[in-house]
Amino acid sequence: MNDDILSQALATFVEEARDLLDQMEILLLRAEQGDSGDGDLHALFRCAHTIKGSGGLFGLAEVERFTHAVENVLDRLRNGHIRFDSELAGLLLECQKCIRCLVDAAVGGCVVAPERSEALLARLQAYSGAARPLLADAVSNRPVEVPERAVSVVSALSDGSVEASSATPGDHWHLSLRFSRGILHDGMDPLSFIAYLSNFGTLLHVETIVDALPEFAAADPELCYLGFEIALQSRATKAEIESVFDFIRDVSQIVILPPDSKIADYIALIDSMRGEVGRIGEILVACGSITAHELEQALTKQRFADPATPLGQVLVGSGGVQPAVVEAAAEKQKQMHEKRLVEARFVKVPADRLDALIDRVGELVIAGAGMQSQIAALRRPDVQESSGILLALVEDIRDMALGLRMVTIGEVFARFPRIVRDVSRELGKKIELRISGAECELDKVMVDKIGDPLMHLLRNSMDHGIEPEEVRVANGKPACGTVELNAYHESGAIHIEVRDDGRGLDRERILRKAVEKGMVAPESKLSDHDIDRLILAPGFSTADQVTSLSGRGVGMDVVASNIEQLRGSLEIESVPGRGTTFRLSLPLTLAIIDGFHVGVGSAHFIIPLDMVDECIELSDCIGHSEVLDLRGEALPFIRLRAMFGELGAEHPRPRVIVVRSGNRSAGLVVDRIYGKCQTVIKPLGPLFVKSPCISGSSIIGNGEIGMILDIPALIRQAIEQSRSRGRTAFRAPSPSQVLESCAHAKQGKTTPFMNSVHS
Amino acid sequence: MKIDLVQAGDNAVMTLAGELTIYSVAATKAELLRRTHNLQTLDIDLSGVYDIDLAGLQWMLIAKRLPATGVRFVNHSAPVLRLLKLTNLGPVLGDPLPATGATATGVWS
Repeated sequence: MNDDILSQALATFVEEARDLLDQMEILLLRAEQGDSGDGDLHALFRCAHTIKGSGGLFGLAEVERFTHAVENVLDRLRNGHIRFDSELAGLLLECQKCIRCLVDAAVGGCVVAPERSEALLARLQAYSGAARPLLADAVSNRPVEVPERAVSVVSALSDGSVEASSATPGDHWHLSLRFSRGILHDGMDPLSFIAYLSNFGTLLHVETIVDALPEFAAADPELCYLGFEIALQSRATKAEIESVFDFIRDVSQIVILPPDSKIADYIALIDSMRGEVGRIGEILVACGSITAHELEQALTKQRFADPATPLGQVLVGSGGVQPAVVEAAAEKQKQMHEKRLVEARFVKVPADRLDALIDRVGELVIAGAGMQSQIAALRRPDVQESSGILLALVEDIRDMALGLRMVTIGEVFARFPRIVRDVSRELGKKIELRISGAECELDKVMVDKIGDPLMHLLRNSMDHGIEPEEVRVANGKPACGTVELNAYHESGAIHIEVRDDGRGLDRERILRKAVEKGMVAPESKLSDHDIDRLILAPGFSTADQVTSLSGRGVGMDVVASNIEQLRGSLEIESVPGRGTTFRLSLPLTLAIIDGFHVGVGSAHFIIPLDMVDECIELSDCIGHSEVLDLRGEALPFIRLRAMFGELGAEHPRPRVIVVRSGNRSAGLVVDRIYGKCQTVIKPLGPLFVKSPCISGSSIIGNGEIGMILDIPALIRQAIEQSRSRGRTAFRAPSPSQVLESCAHAKQGKTTPFMNSVHS
Repeated sequence: MKIDLVQAGDNAVMTLAGELTIYSVAATKAELLRRTHNLQTLDIDLSGVYDIDLAGLQWMLIAKRLPATGVRFVNHSAPVLRLLKLTNLGPVLGDPLPATGATATGVWS
């Protein structure tokens, strides 16, 4: 149980640390380009500080130690002791990468070679100004036995960390801690916070307040009755000390009095505790926070004061505390409160719960559609109306549930500036990255899956596309190459372009290579488009030089197949000497679509509604032609009946559904049109995952199974067929075969349908 | 938590072994109440307590308040000593502490 809580908390830490590291990366990249503001340095420092702090809490000594060194340098930057230059920014970027690895290592990710972090630490040393007292203090304040610290409270408390209270009054922090009763149930041990405080300095005195402890019978040992008064000698800032209690601040009473606080503040503390603890004054004396004499004086003063006036007010009135200070404090508190409100607007939900929700919503949609068709048969307008309302609500919920999974593609794009920077240095080329359309939204699963293919395309563009600087200049191009990432929505899909202004694809060389490798017959005549697509073939690589980035011929085919798995497509446009564009087109979501339900013989098919342009009748005089005349334009078409070998009853007047994908259209000949329907995409059995022209299956309202047609593949086939008549058309598996596989999928209902794209 | 009780007339020695933490304090308190009827004094031997947290410390304070029985803690283990030292609860509990724990130097005032 203990482990469980710990691992959950650790996961949260890692997630937060990664967010912070992302932030650091953005800030550092900005700093490297020399346009960072003053606030940036503070933000950087805060990021490093938080990672160090929470890393320490989880006993990740290496994270803490390394980040501490980075934090020191950032602190000096912040205070203006040193200035940013590109070298330092580069070093810090490397450090940021190293911290990321260290954090990953904590959850069993990559392993960091100690030499690497040591080398970075040594380089940081040059910037940390070891002779400076600030740093020296910060280091010496930390106990040497860092690695053991915070692993467990008991082992963390080195002997001597608590020293006799010899300090003179007022030169240390005074902390007054009262915890919520349930804090132990929440899996937190207040002692760990106290142990952690010793990281900031020396615990001069800890007084445990036991006054709230009830009698034996009434005491529940799992509740927390104890409080603490602590004297802490430290050079940390108030915010740093406060940050220790970030997790519990809302449910606990934490009072932190800085060194040299006015006696009045201590008295106010005594006053606030009066009801609860009688001997707080003595405790403050024990902590050395005030002297006995001062206490005596203050209490005497209080006795003479008007009993109706709270002590705090008396003190303010008598000038003990300046009203401006109080006001500023109140303002600060308000800001903190607002900040917390903003944070509270987000709820982190595990992805699998969201998947489960969407799975259920999918079932709801299917059940709703089934009910709708049954009710329609009843011919009861009143029932039909209420079921209509219900269905509309279900549709709303469907959209909202899917919306929950939508994230902006900027999440993927965010890591590319760094990659472009690193790669361009490695290659010795000047490359600028332009990003547009980062606000486009798409399904979280997609976002996770397109990162790697995109990265590969980007690296390829930089490595093979962009020419070396001198070649560019000789060709009259700007010395600095440009790689663009552009995302936009169009007809129910998201398109992502990776465009470079480099040399373009060298078609002659591609063809030569393909012939060499025996992929193409030497005498074959290929269109430019076909030659371009050769680079997507397995085992193809044209790079004369294999670099660490690309050129090993394992990339592009993997990219292409990854994209196909996501029901997407990859197009290549290339102009020699001007550049290459890779265009990925992906569906917005993988779970539920609006479908267009059609029938051929006894089989049911679903066409994604976004791709349907219009429906026309197939004229009788068409004969065996493969192309029909659509308002003067030639439209290739496919008879689904022939395509799938369907034998059921034929309709005397078949219809043609005109479908479009990108800029290409084709007609599909069907027998019946049922109309729009909600389609929950279910996986095909493993046998049919690779079957062309079918991208999935779904259960239709009447309980039958419908095949979801892979429209881009069908259009490709229709165009091919119309070009080369007489070539035998590919025979797709018959619906009965696919039905069998669907039955499998239906039985194994435990498999969430989202997994269809995972595999 | 393993609890052994050896009784001799009105007096008994209870030996605790295991972790005295939030996970065991409730059961340990119940056990303490169930097995210590009509005792005048009870010595609780802590030498086997290898881990202790705030809940455990609090349990010690609660045990001290056992009605009608004088509870005394003996043979504090090193982890217990260390926490007592951190929290300065030694004088509050009022039991003599062993001068040397396994690692504790035992200097507290």
